[in-house]
Amino acid sequence: MNSTGNRPPSLAVSIGGLTLKNPVMPASGTFGYGEEYAPFADLNRLGAVVTKGISLLPRAGNPPPRIMETPAGMLNAVGLQNVGVRAFVAEKLPYLRQHDVPVIVNIFGEAVDEYAAVAEILSRAGGVHALEVNISCPNVKKGGIAFGARPESAAEVTAAVRGNTDLPVIVKLTPNVTDIVEIALAVESAGAHALSLINTLLGMSIDVERRVPHLQNITGGLSGPAVRPVAVRMVWQVAGRVKVPVIGVGGIVDSASALEFLIAGARAVQVGTGQFVNPRMTLDVIEGIEAYLERHGMKDVQDLIGSLQCTSAR
Amino acid sequence: MLSNRETAPGHFHMVLGLPVPIADPVPGQFVMVRMPDRLDPLLARPLGIYGFSRQAGEARLELLYRVAGKGTALLSGLSTGRVLQVLGPLGRGFRIVPELRTVILVAGGIGIAPLTFLAEHYRGLPAVVEGREIVCYVGARCSEALVGLERMEALCSRVVVTTDDGTCGACGIVTEPLGLDLPSFRPGATVIYACGPGAMLRCLADMLRESPVPCQVSVEERMACGLGACLGCAVAIRSGENALSYVRVCKEGPVFDIHELDWK
Repeated sequence: MNSTGNRPPSLAVSIGGLTLKNPVMPASGTFGYGEEYAPFADLNRLGAVVTKGISLLPRAGNPPPRIMETPAGMLNAVGLQNVGVRAFVAEKLPYLRQHDVPVIVNIFGEAVDEYAAVAEILSRAGGVHALEVNISCPNVKKGGIAFGARPESAAEVTAAVRGNTDLPVIVKLTPNVTDIVEIALAVESAGAHALSLINTLLGMSIDVERRVPHLQNITGGLSGPAVRPVAVRMVWQVAGRVKVPVIGVGGIVDSASALEFLIAGARAVQVGTGQFVNPRMTLDVIEGIEAYLERHGMKDVQDLIGSLQCTSAR
Repeated sequence: MLSNRETAPGHFHMVLGLPVPIADPVPGQFVMVRMPDRLDPLLARPLGIYGFSRQAGEARLELLYRVAGKGTALLSGLSTGRVLQVLGPLGRGFRIVPELRTVILVAGGIGIAPLTFLAEHYRGLPAVVEGREIVCYVGARCSEALVGLERMEALCSRVVVTTDDGTCGACGIVTEPLGLDLPSFRPGATVIYACGPGAMLRCLADMLRESPVPCQVSVEERMACGLGACLGCAVAIRSGENALSYVRVCKEGPVFDIHELDWK
């Protein structure tokens, strides 16, 4: 019961059969393996945790410099540095299992059978509640972009992962395509339980004095509030066309920006770069959504999802 | 913010009062400083701790910084009374070796900031050894870029100054006088601490390659989170024969053994 004597609004949402106590989770790659943010945001209060992308073998990542701040955003070319799936299961997962929060593991590979192999290992590990399939990271030359940029290959990866796991499969889409709806529909047809979008926008920044790129990798993925209008637009386009739930990601730095995604049709949201700005951003967003619902007399976050009112036709 | 004073052109000394409890920082640790309610610049800036004290229940944090870009330029324009977001203390600081007789500090430019805090820490240690000496080699581009010299001089037995243009102290780079003195350092009784530009640290690493004197360096890299999550601040370390891997400056650093890092 809150101060006005009313029951607080329900924030629970369902994603691919997984019930989340609220629609807010960290975005992959911004939350490590969960431990780094625990001193600031109690993991048990989150809708879910989403790990850094995991591959079959460990990856060292790209040489530095890996990041560069840009207007209201940042570029990164970390290069999917991770400990590999076996070390993740042995060393990182036990910590996450101690918490009462769904664990979504982000996975990627450089070949379809690598995705399938990682999915299989994680499905048998115990303590993993869903997989998020990264078909969209712009930093790796061999995998990543190639799968997510074409409907056929995006569907192929989705089907391969589905075939090797009983866990809900969320596919994370890249915005670096001509028609994201086409990719979303292909991935849905291939059996994805949910979609998350957007991953970073491919970008570049130059040190004009020295005439060199700011990143050693030359190009990197743009994130932060600078990309939010693009993300909101894509979520709105996709949510209007697919039947599976959509998770909105891109430039959330307060509850108002999270609300944009929910109103546009996202059933949940992920906070990425915003956590770098404020390590308790996820909790601020949860509290802000709840306050908004109360202020608008809504009893359930479901009443908000997809409630965009347009006077003009789509 | 209690004060924010320009002590040399483009260099500022900021004092912050911290209203919430904070752990005693170890010299070499840093804080992430951000202007709240600003999304451009978006990220906090990692700044090395210059001083820390507790006065009448309130913790005071001192920062000495150089205006290097948009973020620090905006910080430098803020006046007393502004509220800043401060996260810290973060990272692994300098390892203190109280039983050593000789502490050598090598500071390049604004790198003097964490080393001043370190010198102060050594000064405050109980006398495990008689007559501990702290010697600091300070280098800067020119006399105008020499910051924090007075405070360092008050803490050290001896301060050796060099400037690239010879406008103060000896003309040349800071590693030159250090190199001349290096053979006189007793290996079992001396530790070197260094902080400064990459070129200075690389030169030091070369110079000390065969030296038995241990050296800890504090390094800089762009950071986003400061907490070990974003992996943006990676630097290369040698891990076995010809193998390289990356460590996080914010978590495994910012202080490393100089020989642990890959300077190529």
